[in-house]
Amino acid sequence: MDLTTILQGLLTGILMAGIYALVAIGLTLIFGVVRIVNFAQGEFVMIGMYATYWLWKLWGIDPYLSLLITMPLLFCFGVLVQRFLFRPILHAPDLAQIFMTVGISVVLMNAALFFFTADFRSVKTAYAEWALRLGGVTVSVTRLFAFLGALLLAGLLTVFLTKTDVGKALRAVAQDREVCMLLGINPERMYLLAVGLGAALAGAAGSLIVPFFYVFPTVGVVFVLVAFVVVILGTLGSIEGALLAALIVGVAESLGILFAGADLGLVVVFAILVATLILRPSGLMGQA
Amino acid sequence: MSPRTYVPAGFLVFLLVLPHLLPNPFYVHIAVMMAVFAVLGGTWNIIGGYGGQLSLGHAAFFGTGAYVSTLLVNAYGISPWITLWLGGLAALLLSVPVGIICFRLQGPYFAIASIGLAEALRLLVLHFRDITNGAQGLTVPFKGNAPWLLQFDSKFPYYYLALVMAVGVVLIVRRMERSRLGHYLVAIGQNQDAAEALGINSSRAKAKALALSAFLTGVAGVFYAQYTYVIHPDSVFGLGLSIQIALVAIVGGVGTVLGPVLGAVIMEFFIQFTQIAFAGQYPGLELMVYGGLLVAVILWRPRGVIPWFARLYEGLVARLPAARGAQA
Repeated sequence: MDLTTILQGLLTGILMAGIYALVAIGLTLIFGVVRIVNFAQGEFVMIGMYATYWLWKLWGIDPYLSLLITMPLLFCFGVLVQRFLFRPILHAPDLAQIFMTVGISVVLMNAALFFFTADFRSVKTAYAEWALRLGGVTVSVTRLFAFLGALLLAGLLTVFLTKTDVGKALRAVAQDREVCMLLGINPERMYLLAVGLGAALAGAAGSLIVPFFYVFPTVGVVFVLVAFVVVILGTLGSIEGALLAALIVGVAESLGILFAGADLGLVVVFAILVATLILRPSGLMGQA
Repeated sequence: MSPRTYVPAGFLVFLLVLPHLLPNPFYVHIAVMMAVFAVLGGTWNIIGGYGGQLSLGHAAFFGTGAYVSTLLVNAYGISPWITLWLGGLAALLLSVPVGIICFRLQGPYFAIASIGLAEALRLLVLHFRDITNGAQGLTVPFKGNAPWLLQFDSKFPYYYLALVMAVGVVLIVRRMERSRLGHYLVAIGQNQDAAEALGINSSRAKAKALALSAFLTGVAGVFYAQYTYVIHPDSVFGLGLSIQIALVAIVGGVGTVLGPVLGAVIMEFFIQFTQIAFAGQYPGLELMVYGGLLVAVILWRPRGVIPWFARLYEGLVARLPAARGAQA
């Protein structure tokens, strides 16, 4: 295997890492604030992907432009999920919480199968085949856009969380609910915001990935497993950790596909999870 | 004889004659699947209910049992009566590192790792097709009526075998519930830190519960392979199966001895009903209904249906007269 192929694999992994980071940040935001492990996060991505696909198919809206629709759409969806499905089980045992999100995931996945069939769909844009050549390595423009878009959104979220009052309140609720209530912050509203934002990020990931990725009902499973590994490796609740971990997982998966075979990418990701749990269960950002 | 003796005894007799009352083999098949899921729900309940450790990957143990047994039967002609135990043992061995790695940690790690484990095994089985025959799956060579090869031309023996397994699991769970391990698990479930302070090694107790659960699930996997003659990576390692196993316990009632049995009966009725009603015309609709059911149970009946049935049973027992003549 020559160096160019390996470099190409590395690059593909790095570019994919942006999307993984976006899904994982949504997951870690919801976990950090609401303390719910959302197994339906992958299906939120799936909804974003189908929304992008149909906007393009029915009205010819460009996938990148559709971000302006899918993000608010998923935000509202997240708010509804928090209000009607998460809120009643906020104080229930872990078992009930995880099962709630698994149930939501199963319903959404199969609703997609029911309404849209198992067909693999794809959006065909004029720029789908555009590529930059750097030496022997090819950079797909759509993958590059997905990476840059993801970084931009992650940056915006960080600014929002650190510089604005609402963002600070959100982080405060993640640290201590009771004290926030004493300070006049309404945790219920912060929960709505957190799940809304988490879902909106997943929706954005969906829109960004559609130009180079097939849309199908079970596509969310791929993302949710990777996102969980990213979140654990990057320490639950940490955004910088998720970015770093996404890079590691994206590259490892891509190289795994290169060396072990296309069907074993997820096995490599699982191996990273096992290694993390053995060596550093608190993640890269946690205390050893 | 009090109603508390003769009602359960009568029910057991009913289960013994049940297949002979059913009009055709299809109904016997449903009864077999009810028993299989009663076994799976019961074994899941050991770690998921009593241990409070949510497994979303019990298919990993089921599939390991099914594949190890079928590979051994096909390659070396070992009797399935022996591989039944070897399949269970393989699942148990698989569970040991999982337990050691995950139960040191508190949090959702086990749930995530269990999904990953089943999914990784499914992909590996698909990948190494020289050994596993990939997506086409493995078949148990059909030898007609061969009881020593765990093959029968009638469904009745399978039914009785599945019934023995289901009753066995109920008895094992009941015994475990009253054992030291059972009490440890309940204590850990209520307050892990307090339990640790009293000297309970919580990770060890959970790992034991997982090993027991994995072993029994593996045995059930072997039975399933022998019963259906064919196994596929998607059918025995799939996420759908893992969720269905957990759903059986949740619908019935987690952390109770008979909850999963009830859950298995209800779910299997439900599955057959939806299959007949929709006749496979609407892909996704069935699972959509299960997912909805799961959400509904968590929202409105978090303890499952077992409390209803317990009340019903108590009412019945209180009203029934004691049988005369058997008082001595």
